[in-house]
Amino acid sequence: MSAAIDSHRDTHATEGTGRPTRFRVFRYKQGDRAPHFDEFSVEVAEETTVLDALISIRNRQDPTLILRHSCYHASCGTCGLRVNDQEVMACVTKVADLKSAVVKVEPIANQTLVADLVTDMVDFYARFNAIGRSLIQNSDWLPEAGRPPGVETYRRFENCIECGLCLSACPIVASDPRYLGPAALAAAWRAIEEPRGLDPEAVLQLTDDAQGSWRCHAAFECSEACPANVDPAGKIMLVRRRLAADHLRSIFGGRHS
Amino acid sequence: MEERQRPAGDRIATTWTPSQEEAKPTWGWMLQAVTGMLVLVLVTLHMIANHFVVKSGLRDFADVVAYLSNPVVVALEVLFLVVVTWHGLLGLRAVLFDFGFSRRTESWITRILWVVGVAIVAYGLWLTWVITSYH
Amino acid sequence: MSDQTADRSRVERPDEGASRRRRGVIGWADPRGRRLGGWAFILNRLTGLGILLYLFMHLVVLSLLARGPSAWDGFVSIALSPVFLSFDIVLIFGLLLHGLNGIRVTLVGFGLVVDRQKAIFVALMVVGALALIVAALRIIEVG
Repeated sequence: MSAAIDSHRDTHATEGTGRPTRFRVFRYKQGDRAPHFDEFSVEVAEETTVLDALISIRNRQDPTLILRHSCYHASCGTCGLRVNDQEVMACVTKVADLKSAVVKVEPIANQTLVADLVTDMVDFYARFNAIGRSLIQNSDWLPEAGRPPGVETYRRFENCIECGLCLSACPIVASDPRYLGPAALAAAWRAIEEPRGLDPEAVLQLTDDAQGSWRCHAAFECSEACPANVDPAGKIMLVRRRLAADHLRSIFGGRHS
Repeated sequence: MEERQRPAGDRIATTWTPSQEEAKPTWGWMLQAVTGMLVLVLVTLHMIANHFVVKSGLRDFADVVAYLSNPVVVALEVLFLVVVTWHGLLGLRAVLFDFGFSRRTESWITRILWVVGVAIVAYGLWLTWVITSYH
Repeated sequence: MSDQTADRSRVERPDEGASRRRRGVIGWADPRGRRLGGWAFILNRLTGLGILLYLFMHLVVLSLLARGPSAWDGFVSIALSPVFLSFDIVLIFGLLLHGLNGIRVTLVGFGLVVDRQKAIFVALMVVGALALIVAALRIIEVG
């Protein structure tokens, strides 16, 4: 195959100098009866990431491999994959760090599959809609950010890059796709803490559902998988603390909140 | 022009309308937590009373009659049975509800588990009465 | 144009069997890639179901008490056999794991001590291990 689009990334997997590593890659195309794994050998250097290796496979060995990526630095949330059964961002996961002769690459779990390593994120985004939080939000420009040299502190409002790794790791979502799931519930907590035009009470109500925050069983796999320090499990528990307090107050306390 | 299939997202979103008729799951969860804590305490007492107090480690018939002759013991053991049954069946219900049954099936499961629970406690009370009235 | 439409409708309805590779109602039990918390959850469920099963068996066995001393005392001698007692250790392990993890689930589930939940889990399991040793020593003494 001729030099491909991402040839500048391909330099990490230079022939003859790297260590050969076996990649078992999940393959599925629409119309296949069942998925299967294809094996590839890629020479990896010390710095080669899983994404580099996959792109090298696509450029040099199998151009029909379908994968998704964008920013190359774990900010866009596009390249989430299950590598050796762990949820990771492929662009920042070094093959050498996996310490494994065989690297198994699969798409993220609990999502509808489109092809190969690409899942349909519509299911994922729909959960955010379900809590009434619009996916596109206006960001506030803080007064602090307007101070150029000697900027003292920035405050990040949203860590979540909507990569779907948390949903892939969650054992409850694995059994029941009706569960709202970590990403949307963490977003719900953010909306409750900082409404920005949303009605926090309405959001709270939605999380009080049988498929809402009470479905979580404290496995914390989502927080382990999250590449962006969202700590969804922690946020779900904060929602529950608030719900429990509200319910108890409604029984024992006064009518004021 | 042929009709486009509805994207998967619509399917998911429509199942998330909060239900008005069901009791809030908050209470079920709190009940599980409270019964769980009680079980922890009571099972420890139960273990000590039945396996550490008696020299042989297991109460024979005479030991059991002596044990249940104390009304406080009876009260605690009955309480233990009630909370452990409640906690266990509520937990079973949680596992079953992960199977994604219809709301109607779920209310049937709840009803059946209630019947099972009451039957278990009734059995325990009957057994206690039989033992304590043994001559 | 009609070809494209046909392709689009195929993309929107991918083969459900292939797309849900490890799903199904026991998807929660899939151990692959599970970390500490995931294992805590899986084991909590398994021990819970196991203890419930034990509860039913225990209640059935207790009916021997209604049949008088000979029936019950006969059972007691079997219950003190090494095979039986080793099952008891398994039971106690399950009880400790479920009960102590339950403390963590309760605290964390109400939004308390969430930041230190992993450390709390480890600490509780250490307590459980010590309790298990005490129980095992007692069982060996009895048997």
